[in-house]
Amino acid sequence: MLGALWLAGTNAFALAIPWLLKLAIEGLQRPATAQHAPSYYALMIITAALLQGIIRIFSRTTLLHAGRRIEFALREELYARLLTLDLPYFQRERTGDILSRFSNDLTNIRMLMGFGVLNVINTLILYIAAIVLMLRLSPILTICALLPFPVTILVVKRLSATMYRRSIRAQEELARLTSRAEESVSAAVVVRAYCREEGETDSFRTVSSSYLDSNMQMARLRGMMIPIMAATGAMGTLIILFIGGSRVISGELTLGDFVAFNGYLAMLVWPTLMLGWILNLMQRGAASMARLNGVLNARPTVTEPAAPADVGEIGGEIEFRNLSFSYAADSAMVLQNISLLIGKGTKIGIVGAIGSGKSTLARLIPRLYPVPDETILIDGTDINCLPLARLRDAIGFVPQESFLFSRTIGDNIAFGRDGAGEEEIAAAARVASLDQDIERFPAGLQTLVGERGVTLSGGQKQRVSIARALLKDPQILILDDPLSAVDARTEEAILRDLESYYAGRTVLIVSHRLSAVRGCDTIIVLDQGRIVEQGSHGELLALNGRYAAIHREQQLREEIERF
Amino acid sequence: MHFGGLYEDEIVGKAYDRRLMARFLRYVAPYRKLAVVVLAILPLAAGAKLAQPWLMKLAIDNHLIKGEMTGLPLLATGFLGLILAESLLTFAEVWLLQHMGQKVMFDLRMELFSHLQRLPVRFFDRTPTGSLVTRLTSDVEVLGEMFAAGIITVVGDIMVLAGIVGIMLWMNLKLSLVTFSVLPVLVWIAFTFRKRMRTAYRQVRARLANLNSFLNESIHGMAVVQLFNRQKTEQQEFTRLNADYRDANLPVITWDASLYAMVEALSSVAIGLIVWYGGGEIVRGNLSFGALVAFIQYIEKFFSPIRDLSSKYSVMQGAMAALERIFHLLDTEKDEMGTDLISTHQNRSVPISTIDFRDVWFAYNNDDYVLKGLNLTLRRGEKVAMVGETGGGKTTVTRLLSRFYEVSRGSIAIDGTDIRELSLHGLRRRIGVVLQDPFLFTGTIRFNISLGNPGAESRVEVAARIVGADRFIRRLPLGFDEEVREKGSNLSAGERQLISFARAVAFDPEILVLDEATASVDTASERLIQEGLKGLMAGRTTLVVAHRLSTIRDADRIVVIHRGEKVEEGSHEELMAQQGLYYRLYQLQFRD
Ligand SMILES: Nc1ncnc2c1ncn2[C@@H]1O[C@H](COP(=O)(O)OP(=O)(O)OP(=O)(O)O)[C@@H](O)[C@H]1O
Ligand SMILES: Nc1ncnc2c1ncn2[C@@H]1O[C@H](COP(=O)(O)OP(=O)(O)OP(=O)(O)O)[C@@H](O)[C@H]1O
Ligand SMILES: [Mg+2]
Ligand SMILES: [Mg+2]
Repeated sequence: MLGALWLAGTNAFALAIPWLLKLAIEGLQRPATAQHAPSYYALMIITAALLQGIIRIFSRTTLLHAGRRIEFALREELYARLLTLDLPYFQRERTGDILSRFSNDLTNIRMLMGFGVLNVINTLILYIAAIVLMLRLSPILTICALLPFPVTILVVKRLSATMYRRSIRAQEELARLTSRAEESVSAAVVVRAYCREEGETDSFRTVSSSYLDSNMQMARLRGMMIPIMAATGAMGTLIILFIGGSRVISGELTLGDFVAFNGYLAMLVWPTLMLGWILNLMQRGAASMARLNGVLNARPTVTEPAAPADVGEIGGEIEFRNLSFSYAADSAMVLQNISLLIGKGTKIGIVGAIGSGKSTLARLIPRLYPVPDETILIDGTDINCLPLARLRDAIGFVPQESFLFSRTIGDNIAFGRDGAGEEEIAAAARVASLDQDIERFPAGLQTLVGERGVTLSGGQKQRVSIARALLKDPQILILDDPLSAVDARTEEAILRDLESYYAGRTVLIVSHRLSAVRGCDTIIVLDQGRIVEQGSHGELLALNGRYAAIHREQQLREEIERF
Repeated sequence: MHFGGLYEDEIVGKAYDRRLMARFLRYVAPYRKLAVVVLAILPLAAGAKLAQPWLMKLAIDNHLIKGEMTGLPLLATGFLGLILAESLLTFAEVWLLQHMGQKVMFDLRMELFSHLQRLPVRFFDRTPTGSLVTRLTSDVEVLGEMFAAGIITVVGDIMVLAGIVGIMLWMNLKLSLVTFSVLPVLVWIAFTFRKRMRTAYRQVRARLANLNSFLNESIHGMAVVQLFNRQKTEQQEFTRLNADYRDANLPVITWDASLYAMVEALSSVAIGLIVWYGGGEIVRGNLSFGALVAFIQYIEKFFSPIRDLSSKYSVMQGAMAALERIFHLLDTEKDEMGTDLISTHQNRSVPISTIDFRDVWFAYNNDDYVLKGLNLTLRRGEKVAMVGETGGGKTTVTRLLSRFYEVSRGSIAIDGTDIRELSLHGLRRRIGVVLQDPFLFTGTIRFNISLGNPGAESRVEVAARIVGADRFIRRLPLGFDEEVREKGSNLSAGERQLISFARAVAFDPEILVLDEATASVDTASERLIQEGLKGLMAGRTTLVVAHRLSTIRDADRIVVIHRGEKVEEGSHEELMAQQGLYYRLYQLQFRD
């Protein structure tokens, strides 16, 4: 609003200066009748010019800053939305696509909001001024002169629709390009290991070319828009030449009026051109807005309960009630009829072949994926009725693949608890047998890890991830194959330390190595999403089923190796 | 809260200033013909535009004043023709310019990308993905803005300017000098603003990269963020970076607006000065009234290209700042790919017989040695296992063999030739690595195993069978043609590992490097793999890293790595007899 006011000010001065100049020239023409000396006018002009300059600075900065502020606010909102979205969303969308929306699509909108609005206001002011002046001279001529405009508007409308579609396509191509770039950069090591540099370059060239193509089409459209607008103005002049001309000849219009009229019409040329440009911005902005809305309107399937259950401290009893789960409505069941009661403070081990659903089961407890109602209960309450933050606060989770942030090791361990002290961090690191590694790093806890933890060894990453879960001090601890990357000695040490840490907590541990689960109260064996065996280590051995077979296999090797 | 670290992109620049434009022109050079055409069109389009008022004047003078209708239609036709010509020419100009811009952007982007493919792995350890993606997308896009703003017309503007200056000087020296007295101010403004704008734009580009790096990481780590209820803190950090980016932009806008406004103001000031001075001259009778009016009109014309230039100034500075970053990346040292096309080492018929690690020292940073004087020999057909405490340096050894990193001291030699003398591709083609962290691409399972390599494509199914991946693949609705989502997120960890294992097998390498290749695989599958590999590994050299000692029971030799040093070496029996570190590890794993 303020910006518009400033703009009106600028334009007023813009009109004042030619008027002052006109007075000055008239004064010079007839020095005798002049009211003021030329120096007076000169001073006036200079003052007006300086004032105009200052106001112009304000008007432009106000509006363009507003554009940036809108961009900022939109970006904030987008990110806030992302934080509420669930894993199914992030697996559907490509990272590069989201990145592209955050930068390239937002840029289009900012351009529209800043420059677009600035020029729309400018254009409108000029249009209204010129048309009012024209109407005063000759209403009929004005109507005639404006005749080509409706036609143009029609044509432009058609063009705009195409432009919108093309814009969407171009933005999608750019998103694809971004995704390709993102993937290729993340895959740097594999690409090198398999000499796929050429292949990557080729596939990047493919996406770049199709982005190029859609940009070329955009360029053609843009190229058409501007001359069409220019031609409209000129056509108006042509009409005036004819109709106005004949009126001058027939004496209905004075020559002076005719010339003045033409002058006003000329005033319209530039804003009309501008209009073409703005239309282009608008189409691009609209296309990008549609893409942003894709994020803003996305809703997670994992939602906060409408009526949260009123629970006190979470104790840690977990019950699965006939749980069946599939990742998509039309895909195969990953878990089938899982029923299991895990008492508070018990330790449960899960084993099973790859792809049998162990991680899926683990991921459902903190509701990383949507869980059917009344199938998982904690302390007898459906987890869908627990506030998400409460539920997740009660759970310490070590994912099968450690994900670390490119921050310091200390920050990574303290990820779950803001303001955890150095002492606590060190204690958690000790339980995870990470203390010696940290000691060996020159910067200790302040060591910066690379993206996704690339500057740590596999086992170090995994142990940071364990320490991170432990520091949270949760009632329920879920460990998804937490020791796959550590050696026997470290495994032993961690298991020993965890033993004392476990006291009173409910622990769920997934592992391929029986050594990690043999001490559990109950062990379940999953096969293709079903529980096929269940019992303690001893019971399962006595059962002589799959578990016993795995055990025998691991023992058998030992036998072989003994000789 | 402030996380520092990798989100702080460096601000490059300064050093590039002078050579920047010249270097950029090299990318435009292939399209100079287009540029010439655009420059040729410019005066034509301007002519068509300027001729319109002239025809109008003719119409007024010859027809309207005289009241003569004949001939007017002809004039009108001419007018129409000019309109058409102007439209077409403008279209051609806009289109060609954009065309050129897009092509240049494409070239630059491709060069950047293929350069990235040649950068050493080390570079990626410290550069966030988001920052590189920004380089490839936004930074290049900014150049497009420069073309869209009609950068070529700058040349036209400058020519017009020169012409007008000439005419003005010729018309009236004194008046011209009075007019030009505002020029030093203008030049001074342009100069100071350039520095400030460029600095501000450098900030803008760097902060955008930071923002994207953070965002990229956030998206990948969203599950962790949500599991740990960190949304609030992450949002705060994002807000900080977002605000930084916004605030970096604000001064640029102010500079730009000031420049534009000052040019406008100066043009009016110049007119004021002329009125002042010229008015006096007229009074004194030194100047004709007509000359003054004409001169004032020239001042308008004189400032029009300047105004045009100033409106592009900011876009240009932004583009320059982006170019600095692009060139900075292009100047990052590439891996020396080597060129041994002399084929001894590309040639499969000359198999590798020994690989020697001789006193290998290696540090990732400075002299923080991770490997300290490692000696190791692998012979053809041998299976050598590396075991040891986590963080001991096992993965590092495998990385050095593939030359992802260069040894700091000592050497690795294949049949006596230092691997630094081999071409990178020649070396890497002979090694099949199963990385400790499997990486899958978006695409089908088939593609993920073959990576588009024709040779590997024919072995996809065999390889899958060897590693026992075919069992789960066949269960999928589309089998080998099932789509893998980004980073393999729709597969289980074990499934991902099997695919990455199958990939190594499908490439049929001479040397197989298995870095914890079965860490996420169940015992039964592991046995299948071992049986499958038995036949395959005959005659090949295998280097296995494993924590599960059962996987290495049939190794010919076992090497125990502890804190970067080889502490034990020998067969299982020998090491058991030594009762050293291996013995202890073994006892722990199989205690019962
Ligand atoms: N890219 C890197 N940059 C800096 N330091 C690194 C990098 N990669 C590994 N390190 C460090 O080098 C040491 C050895 O790491 P390496 O990955 O070789 O261990 P490893 O024996 O494979 O361990 P693990 O069994 O846990 O996989 C570790 O202390 C690790 O922190
Ligand atoms: N996000 C997903 N979308 C679709 N399918 C999935 C997804 N995640 C896993 N699956 C499929 O569900 C099945 C079970 O996967 P899950 O990760 O639970 O296995 P797992 O028992 O943990 O195996 P592993 O031992 O390999 O870790 C697998 O067949 C897998 O392909
Ligand atoms: Mg799993
Ligand atoms: Mg390793």
